[in-house]
Amino acid sequence: MSSSSLSAPLSNQPSGGDSTRESILELKDVYHRWKGPKPPVLDDVSLTLRAGEVTWIGGRNGVGKTTLLRLAAGILLTQRGSVSIGELTPRSKGGLYRRQIGFLSAGDRSLQARMRVTQQLDYWGRLAYVPRQRRAALVADSMRRFGLEEFADRRVDRMSMGQRQRIRLAMAFLHEPRVLLLDEPRNSLDDDGYQLLNQQIEQAAGRGASILWCSPRGEDRVIACDSSFTLTEGRLERVG
Amino acid sequence: MSQMRLWCDAMWGIVRRDAILFVSYRAQLLAQFVGPLFSITIFYYISHIVTARSIHSPGGYFGFVIVGLVIVQILTISMGVMPVTVRQELVSGTIERFLVSAHGPINGILGTMLFPLINALLSGVLMLTLAAVIFGLPLATTAVLAIPVALLGTLAFMPFAFFLVSLVMAFKQASSATQFIVAGVAIVGGLYFPISLLPGWIRWASDVQPFTPATDLLRHLLIDTPLVHPAGIELLKLVGFSAVLLPAGVMLLRASIRYGQRSGTIAEY
Repeated sequence: MSSSSLSAPLSNQPSGGDSTRESILELKDVYHRWKGPKPPVLDDVSLTLRAGEVTWIGGRNGVGKTTLLRLAAGILLTQRGSVSIGELTPRSKGGLYRRQIGFLSAGDRSLQARMRVTQQLDYWGRLAYVPRQRRAALVADSMRRFGLEEFADRRVDRMSMGQRQRIRLAMAFLHEPRVLLLDEPRNSLDDDGYQLLNQQIEQAAGRGASILWCSPRGEDRVIACDSSFTLTEGRLERVG
Repeated sequence: MSQMRLWCDAMWGIVRRDAILFVSYRAQLLAQFVGPLFSITIFYYISHIVTARSIHSPGGYFGFVIVGLVIVQILTISMGVMPVTVRQELVSGTIERFLVSAHGPINGILGTMLFPLINALLSGVLMLTLAAVIFGLPLATTAVLAIPVALLGTLAFMPFAFFLVSLVMAFKQASSATQFIVAGVAIVGGLYFPISLLPGWIRWASDVQPFTPATDLLRHLLIDTPLVHPAGIELLKLVGFSAVLLPAGVMLLRASIRYGQRSGTIAEY
């Protein structure tokens, strides 16, 4: 994949976001502080993710990007402030809220090492409440979209890091969520994998999903974002 | 598709996952067969040198202790395996799938408990079969009724597993608590010897947990040991313990997960 295609825009929307678009996920005055005599990692952070838009958040290691994503995904609950998708919140209607979310954590965890790729994706489809009639088709489709078909019967612990990252991405996209929360999605991906990821993000944005991409490096220079921010000392600063 | 159908599909997915993982370690399968066989053999020969006048069952001490061993096996597999499994989920990060799924963390953890329970019950049946076929344990004609009673007993034991899993969720470790509970139950539940042999000051502990009525009922149904109280009373005790302790256990589990989610420790291991 050439560097020009790496920087090809994912969306035609201008950077900075379009406030006329439907807002999907809203974080309002979110505050989180870890135990101990430390300043808050998130200090009244507000962010609106809109339909069909890609948002990037960068910042130094340990600045709180992953914490922000975990709060948005409902893995962590807010100590103050709110996270919502319409009327759904992780606290009040957690199951319905999480059905809207596709989450990719950083690293290579959250895979069942001794399951085969199809078993892994089918397992996730069940947990995500994908109806039985659609599950097999969505599993096959997500394998195709992330170039996993030839590994369908291979055990996860016998796959490379990049291949595992593709499975993790396939799980995040499988149930066609309205919001995609991606923590360092480029990890371990080769050029082909990165191209597939970009295509899937473009398609997801095209069907109206909202994508939040977090990474420490300046990915906003190589992916086309509708809005980009850096997280510094617990606060979001718009950079594009 | 109804919500219940989706819920069942997810639960079955977790059981299937755990079965796949269990079978993928072949030595584990073998150990689960050979381990009980060794225990039965040891107690078979011990029973030849034990004369126990306080035991009134056709199978003598061997029959008495085999039922105790079956319950210990069920407790060890269910209570021992459940917290370890959940801890492994934390360490490997696979618990994240529950946390971000429609199925959710509570249902996910409850689902994680199903395979160990099924495995424990099958293991109990295997032990009894081995004792009957190889060592000639005379099983009562009512033995088949032990299955629903064992299921009810397991429901009554579950809250203790919830307690241990809650400890894992909140504090990341529960191994010492597991050993403490299993050893304590073995003493006050009369698993290896009749509770009538216990000193008076501790005997009350036999009446305030579900293990004693479950053990007494199972012994009665499996090897025809006479009951101290009528069977209906023992069943009522089991139902009562289940009705009170199960909701309390689920609430405790929910509280431990919420604590981890608020403090952020849910992502730690």
